[in-house]
Amino acid sequence: MSHSTSTSAATDTGWQEEWQPVVDAVGRDFLDGVITWGGDPVEPGAIRRYLEPLELDCALHTDREAARAAGFDDVTMPYTGVMPWTLPAAWEPGQVLFDSYDRDAQPVRSAINDAGLGIGPRTTGFFGTDVEIDFLRPVVAGERLGRRGKRLLSCKPKETSVGRGAFLTFESEVVSDRGPAASGYPEVVGRIRIGTYAYVPHAKDGER
Amino acid sequence: MTRYFEDVTIGEALPSVAYPLTVYRLVMAAGTNRDFNSIHHNSEYARGTGAEEMYANTSFLMGTWERCVRDWIGTEGTIRALRGFRMKAFNYVGDTTTVHAEVATTRVEDGLGVVEVAIRCENSQGVTVGPGVVEVTLPRREEES
Repeated sequence: MSHSTSTSAATDTGWQEEWQPVVDAVGRDFLDGVITWGGDPVEPGAIRRYLEPLELDCALHTDREAARAAGFDDVTMPYTGVMPWTLPAAWEPGQVLFDSYDRDAQPVRSAINDAGLGIGPRTTGFFGTDVEIDFLRPVVAGERLGRRGKRLLSCKPKETSVGRGAFLTFESEVVSDRGPAASGYPEVVGRIRIGTYAYVPHAKDGER
Repeated sequence: MTRYFEDVTIGEALPSVAYPLTVYRLVMAAGTNRDFNSIHHNSEYARGTGAEEMYANTSFLMGTWERCVRDWIGTEGTIRALRGFRMKAFNYVGDTTTVHAEVATTRVEDGLGVVEVAIRCENSQGVTVGPGVVEVTLPRREEES
């Protein structure tokens, strides 16, 4: 997301130095190759719901017989489903997810919101900026997907109209618990590079 | 109807797809693609992060590209890659985001008909996502004969 750069950035660069440990960590896999599995296997009901707000009408995703006629064992996941189907469960038995009565309180943990890297400045604002995905093969209902690794490819500190932070790009492999034995386990079915902007929002007028 | 690689011409426009971004659609999208970041369904929270309003999430917008391309390639086409999906501006609730696409390049690669589709999202303020590329394969007539 491009935003205008504030003129104050030219005179106050201390915040940029806080990002240097992250800049120095480019190339590091912050998950050491560990696989984070999606909360659920790909299944027809969730596929149907994924299609609804998109009004995406394709028989491969909704009609088992049509999918089989096309050579698949079951309905296929929309390709872009690699994003939601590699997200871990938001809550698991025994955990506390909500610990506040505030109207806009956030959950204790979230796979979407910035969890931080353990280095660099603490940020409270976060959004996705860009994505690249290589789809190596279609994914079929019944498969469970995960993401392996989280390698930092770049870190570029920048002040934007919404705050001060850094543009970060991470790369992961998309893996499946299925696939021919020859492919090895787990089988790599895609690669995904995700760009984010993690930042500290500017103070609102009157709060400065 | 099958779309064959040989019938594709460079510069050919794909049918555009318009998405009025209602609160209802964005909430539905968050529920189904599991991106519950409050910036996508809570206007007050979104404003607190520097945005003007709640706005569509990344998964949903990627899905709009897939919808546009899938409508065109049909069930016999495959999607191989998505590149240049860059968020340039927020896709705010209350606006309409429209996906526009056209054929950028075609080539035969290892016997497959490969088409690169140039694609972008636009709203009332201009381009919001992309321009990027969705790389697809289409069946070839020679394969059938």
